[in-house]
Amino acid sequence: MKRKTILEEVLDRGFTRRDFLKMCTALAATMGLDFSQTDQVVAAMEKNQRVPVIWLQFQDCTGCSESFIRSTHPKVESVLLNMISLEYSEALSAASGHQIEAALEHVLEHYPGEYILAVEGSLPTDDAFLTVGGVSAKETFLRAAKGAKAIIAYGSCSSWGGIPAAYPNPTKAKPITHFVKDKPVILVPGCPPIAEVMTGVIAHIITFGKLPELDHLGRPKAFYRHRIHDKCNRRAYFDAGLFAESFDDEGARQGYCLYKVGCKGPTTYNSCAEMRWNGGVSYPIQSGNPCIGCSEKGFWDNGPFFVRRAKIPASQTTINPETVGAIAVGVTAAGVAAHAMVTAMKKKDEHHD
Amino acid sequence: MSIPTNPKIEQKQTQVVWKRSRKAKNIELNDEMVKVYVWELPVRIFHWINAFSIIVLMITGVFIGRPFVSASIQEEAYYSFLMGWARYIHFFVAFLFTINLAVRWYWVYKGNEHATSNPFRFSFWKEAFETIKYYLFMKNNKKHYIGHNPLAQLSYWIFIGLGSIIMMFTGYYLLFEPQPESIYGKMFMWVAHLFGGDSYSVRSWHHLVAWGFIIFTVVHVYMAFREDYLQRNGTMSSIFTGYKIERKKEALGEHDEK
Ligand code: HEM
Ligand code: HEM
Ligand code: SF4
Ligand code: SF4
Repeated sequence: MKRKTILEEVLDRGFTRRDFLKMCTALAATMGLDFSQTDQVVAAMEKNQRVPVIWLQFQDCTGCSESFIRSTHPKVESVLLNMISLEYSEALSAASGHQIEAALEHVLEHYPGEYILAVEGSLPTDDAFLTVGGVSAKETFLRAAKGAKAIIAYGSCSSWGGIPAAYPNPTKAKPITHFVKDKPVILVPGCPPIAEVMTGVIAHIITFGKLPELDHLGRPKAFYRHRIHDKCNRRAYFDAGLFAESFDDEGARQGYCLYKVGCKGPTTYNSCAEMRWNGGVSYPIQSGNPCIGCSEKGFWDNGPFFVRRAKIPASQTTINPETVGAIAVGVTAAGVAAHAMVTAMKKKDEHHD
Repeated sequence: MSIPTNPKIEQKQTQVVWKRSRKAKNIELNDEMVKVYVWELPVRIFHWINAFSIIVLMITGVFIGRPFVSASIQEEAYYSFLMGWARYIHFFVAFLFTINLAVRWYWVYKGNEHATSNPFRFSFWKEAFETIKYYLFMKNNKKHYIGHNPLAQLSYWIFIGLGSIIMMFTGYYLLFEPQPESIYGKMFMWVAHLFGGDSYSVRSWHHLVAWGFIIFTVVHVYMAFREDYLQRNGTMSSIFTGYKIERKKEALGEHDEK
C-alpha cells in the first residue's frame, strides 16, 4: 500500500492548498528558518510521507504531552493529523489495551529505521520502580529505540533526569542518554518544553530529512542557542542595577529585574524570551515571576526557586556562597589571631631566656 | 618555652635549590651580612598587579553575584549603568589578571632561583611538612629560606596556580557562553564539561573558588607580617624593594653543594 504524502493528507481532510501553504509558512517561522526557505518546507511536505511516531512515557507527569497539545503554530491538530502519525501514545491515543500494543508492534515491525521515538520521563536504573505488565521500562525503551530513526527526549526528565532524579533520587533515575549510546538523541529540555519547540523539532526532521543542528549538550541550536538573560525584556534594569527586592515592592511594580528574587535566567538556555508561551502571549519573567531554570540540567537541585545560590561541585547540595564564605573567612581570621597571639607569647619568652 | 628554631638546625641547608646559573644577586654589607636581591622587578610588579586585580575582581564579582547596592536613581533603566560598570570592570581587570599571570609564568623560566618551584621533588614535600610543624609550634627541622618556604610555595601552587586557572577558564566560559558560535565561544565550550556540564555548575565553581582567594589573602598577609616580625630580615619591604638582608653563610651557602 502506498502511503500518502503530507500534502495529499491535508487535501484529503478538506483543506485547500492555500491552507497548506499557510501552514508551511508558519512552520518555517517556528523552526527559525528564513522566509525564503519556506519553499523548502513546501517541497518537503509535498513529497514526504507522514512520519510514524511512537511516544513513550516513563517516570513523568504528562506535562510535556499537555504542553504539546497546546501548540499554536503549527496547530497541534495539523501536526498530529498531517505531518506525523502518532501511532502510540498512552495519553493521546484513542485505542487502549491490546489494541494499542498491537499498533506499537506494527510500527516496530514495518517501519524500522523510519519512525521517530519520542520519550517523556526518565528511566529508573532499578527496574523494581517501573515495570509494566512484566516488562521493565528499560526493556520497553530499548526495544523501541532499536529501530528508531531518531530519538527525541521531550522534557527535562528524559533529557537530564528531572524531578525523579532530584535529591535524594530514590529510583536512581537517569536520563535516556544513559541507556542508549548508538542512536542520535535530540534533547528538548524544559519543564515542560515550549509547545512550538516540540513541534518545531519534528517539523525540522520531516522537512530536511535529518536531525536539526545540535549544540554541545545535544539540544537543537535553533531553540536553545540563547540564554534567557540575554533576551530578557527586563535586561536593561539588570545592567542599570535596578532590582525588585521582593514580590510586592515598588521595584516589582515598576518591572525591575528579578535577579534578587532568585531569577535563574543568567544560567538558563531556552526560547522563552523569544517565542514566549501560549502562542506568544507571555512568559514567566514578563509576568513577574523569576525564571526557575526549568530547562537546565539538575534544576530541581539548583537551590530554592526564589533564591540564587551556588552548588557544591559534584553534589546535589547548594549553599549561599556569601554566608558560607563569610563564616570561612571569620574562622580563618580567628585562627590567624590565635596563631599571632601564640607567636607573640613565644617571642616574648625567647627574650626572657 | 621558645620558638623552636634551633640555631644549629638553621645551619642545615635546604635541599630545594636551583641551578647555579639562576642564583640571586648579592650585595655584601659587611663580613656577616649580605643584601640578597630575592624578588626581581617583574616579580614585584606581578605581585602588586595580582594583589590589586584579585581585590577588584572580588569586590566586583561579589557585586555581580549578589548586588548589595542598587542604582540610586529609582527611575527608568536609562539613567544608570551600575551592574554594567561592575561587569565591565570585572572583565577588564580579568584581562589584566590573565596577562599578568602569563608574564609571571614566563618569569618562572627566565627569573632567578626564587622565581620558581619544583613540587616534583621529594625534598619539597618533606620540607613543606617540616614547615607545617614549625607553624604549629612543634619541634621541627625547618630550614631558613631566603625565597618562599615550601609551604608558601605550595599555597601559591594551589591558589595562584590551580585557583587562577579555574577562575580564568570558568570566567572566560561565563563571559563567552552567550556567543557559542563565536571563535571565543568555541574556544571555551569544553570548560563546561570539566565543571559539571551546565552553566549553573560552572558559575558555582567560579563563585566558590572566589572565596578561596579571600581566605588565601588573609592567611598570606598575616604570614608576611609574621615572618617580618620574627626574622627581622625585611620580608615586608622585600616585596617593594626586592631585597632581603640575610646572613652571609646562608645566602651563599644555599649553593654550596659540594
Ligand atoms: C581571582 C579572580 C576572580 C574572582 C575573585 C572573581 C569573582 C567573581 C564572582 C564572585 C562572580 C559572581 C558569580 C555569581 O554570579 O555567582 C563573578 C562573575 C563573573 N566573572 Fe569573575 N572572578 C575572577 C576572575 C574572573 C576572570 C579571570 C574572568 C574572565 C573573564 C571572570 C569573568 C566573570 C564573568 C563573565 C562573570 C559573570 C558575570 C555575569 O554574568 O554578569 N572572572 N566573578
Ligand atoms: C598587604 C598586602 C600584601 C603583602 C604585604 C604581601 C607580601 C608578600 C611578600 C612579602 C611575599 C614574598 C614572601 C614569601 O613568599 O615568602 C609575597 C609573595 C606573594 N604574594 Fe603577597 N602580599 C600582599 C597581598 C597579596 C595578595 C592580595 C595576593 C593575592 C591574592 C598576594 C599573592 C602573592 C603571591 C602569588 C606571591 C608569590 C610571588 C611570586 O613568587 O611571584 N599577595 N607577598
Ligand atoms: S529578570 Fe532574570 S533573565 Fe531578566 S535580566 Fe533579570 S536576571 Fe536576567
Ligand atoms: S522562563 Fe525559565 S523557568 Fe520559565 S519556562 Fe522558561 S526556562 Fe523554564
